[in-house]
Amino acid sequence: MTDENLTTDPSRPAQRMRAGSLSLSFMPWIVGGILLVIMPFIFTSNSALTIMNQMWITVIFALAYNMLLGQGGMLSFGHAVYAGVGGFACMHIMNASDFFASLPLPVLPVFGGLFGMGLALIVGSFSTRNAGTVFAMISLGVGELIAACSVIIVAFFGGEEGISGDRTYALPFFGNEFLQQIDVYYLTSFWVLLSAALMYLWSRTPVGRMANAVRDNPERAEFLGYSARWVRFYSFVASGFFAGVAGGLFAINYEILTEENLNTTSSGVILLVTFLGGVGFFFGPIIGAVAFTLLQTVLSLQTELWAFYAGTLFVATVMFFPGGLAGLMMMHVPAFRLGKANHLIVPYIKTLIPGFIGILGLCALVEMTFHFRHAATGDNEMTLFWTTFDSHAILPWIIAIAVTVIGLGIARATAPALKEAWNEANTAGGAA
Amino acid sequence: MSTPALELTGLKKSFGKAEIIRGIDLSIGTAERHAIIGPNGAGKSTLFNLITARFPATEGTVKLHGEDLAGLQPFQINRKGLSRSFQITNIFPAMTVFENVRCALLWSQGYKYSFWNLVNRSRQLTEGADAILDQINLLERRNLPAGTLSYAEQRALEIGITIAGGADVIMLDEPTAGMSHSETDYITDLILKVTEGKTLVMVEHDMGVVFGLADRISVLVYGEIIATGRPEDVRGDPKVQEAYLGAALEAEH
Repeated sequence: MTDENLTTDPSRPAQRMRAGSLSLSFMPWIVGGILLVIMPFIFTSNSALTIMNQMWITVIFALAYNMLLGQGGMLSFGHAVYAGVGGFACMHIMNASDFFASLPLPVLPVFGGLFGMGLALIVGSFSTRNAGTVFAMISLGVGELIAACSVIIVAFFGGEEGISGDRTYALPFFGNEFLQQIDVYYLTSFWVLLSAALMYLWSRTPVGRMANAVRDNPERAEFLGYSARWVRFYSFVASGFFAGVAGGLFAINYEILTEENLNTTSSGVILLVTFLGGVGFFFGPIIGAVAFTLLQTVLSLQTELWAFYAGTLFVATVMFFPGGLAGLMMMHVPAFRLGKANHLIVPYIKTLIPGFIGILGLCALVEMTFHFRHAATGDNEMTLFWTTFDSHAILPWIIAIAVTVIGLGIARATAPALKEAWNEANTAGGAA
Repeated sequence: MSTPALELTGLKKSFGKAEIIRGIDLSIGTAERHAIIGPNGAGKSTLFNLITARFPATEGTVKLHGEDLAGLQPFQINRKGLSRSFQITNIFPAMTVFENVRCALLWSQGYKYSFWNLVNRSRQLTEGADAILDQINLLERRNLPAGTLSYAEQRALEIGITIAGGADVIMLDEPTAGMSHSETDYITDLILKVTEGKTLVMVEHDMGVVFGLADRISVLVYGEIIATGRPEDVRGDPKVQEAYLGAALEAEH
């Protein structure tokens, strides 16, 4: 049954988008829908499903966050509270057994959205008067305030243990009680596709377009008949709704919400995810959410230092690719348009592969240093890249340093050629 | 006589102790092209900012078609049919040229803050924006980011944005500032074309533009209007010649 929802859904936004290049705006949604359906057949394990659920929830949250950051120019340091409050509200609905027993589970995220939106209505009424530092500071303050409330208003936030519930008490949805992880997966997939489509459509509406205008030049927007403040307010409220939806899905998925869902760390993570993916493009946060969740789940199984690598990646993104991963991808569009993208392949191989090996060498050094300093005394053996060796011996260090130096050295030596190829590929020479 | 399009009475503005606008009375009729000239620092841009509520006035009233604008925000004044451009180019640089104009059309076409309409689907919006682009000769630049246009093109775009909403009172703040001769001629023709039948209030330094465009001229010196009248009368006014125009005309030649 859920499958049917999935396959019919992508056609819905497309039908509404009659104008313009229909097939072009249509395709990503069909591809996305198909991917969502077939992913569980490729990655069948339960842990893969868990990772994907987490991914899709993060996708919704990051897209909602980007309605503020990328599209509205509002930097929020406390957006987790809208997702969190939406999630807590859903937990309470799960625990209100009579009402919950008459509610099909797939509808529950709507309530999360409404509560997130309700909170955003209140906070937005005073926080959206200004963008910039004032908005950022208010968002931080409100975020801290509500996070602090979690230990004060125990009835709603459940104190330190949080609130837990059981999703299976809902009204069976076409006989499905969502006992299996796969059922939850399709529920989440349905919502991620629907939310992403709605948020995309939002960006094409008058208020969505004006959000961009207000971001770029609030004063000019005012002289076009739009109040910058109200434009921000509407974006903020819509963003609160979708954040709440993400919170509701979190509640369904994990059946527990704690203070962690509200606090500044969570707010910081979503900023990181969104920026990593790229704020300049609608699909940026999707890439960011997928990449970050993979780092968070897969990499964290491999190394305790995953947060260090994620942080390094974030800093590198901010410094070298402010457009994020999406910006990095879209940088190549002109070269493709000119039909010269193939000129880049060889220079890329020549620079990026040694560079990548060099970075792996650097990571090895970091891991070995960490092991050397923190492993229990006498525990000298460590395993890295499927090789077990003694972290106190000199040879592994020499190898790691050599790999790093040689890898990065080659990358550095070939970089000018890559740069030249890049310039060449981006100039319409001769043929044009 | 019918109600003037724009009427200022006893308008004053002080920043701290400094009085910048020292009591201005001015009445501009419907479909009149009115130029405000004066030496640097006379308060021309400040006057513009007072009329459009970018700054609050210290004293006095501004009436648009007989309606007092006191206490209104810029966006509310704009909705009443008064639109302005800026001395320093003020567009949406990251958005495309087309998008710039389309944003300027949204309110006047009644879209307000709606989130149930899709802008791409509205033929009226697309055609309206393209018509404006055609008028300002930027149709070929339609899909470029506005920030990549040449200076003169950006100024033309700003005029396009200003007139797009269909306002009947257009205020242009130094539309030809920093332009070459040919660009100035181009913009002057453009202004004549797009303000046909509308009330135009403009601040301008270039006397060629002023005498070519304006039906009436006001001379603003140290926050006061020392003369208002038809171009030839103002040119002949000894007070004006003494204060400003003589020097400016000499500099021209």
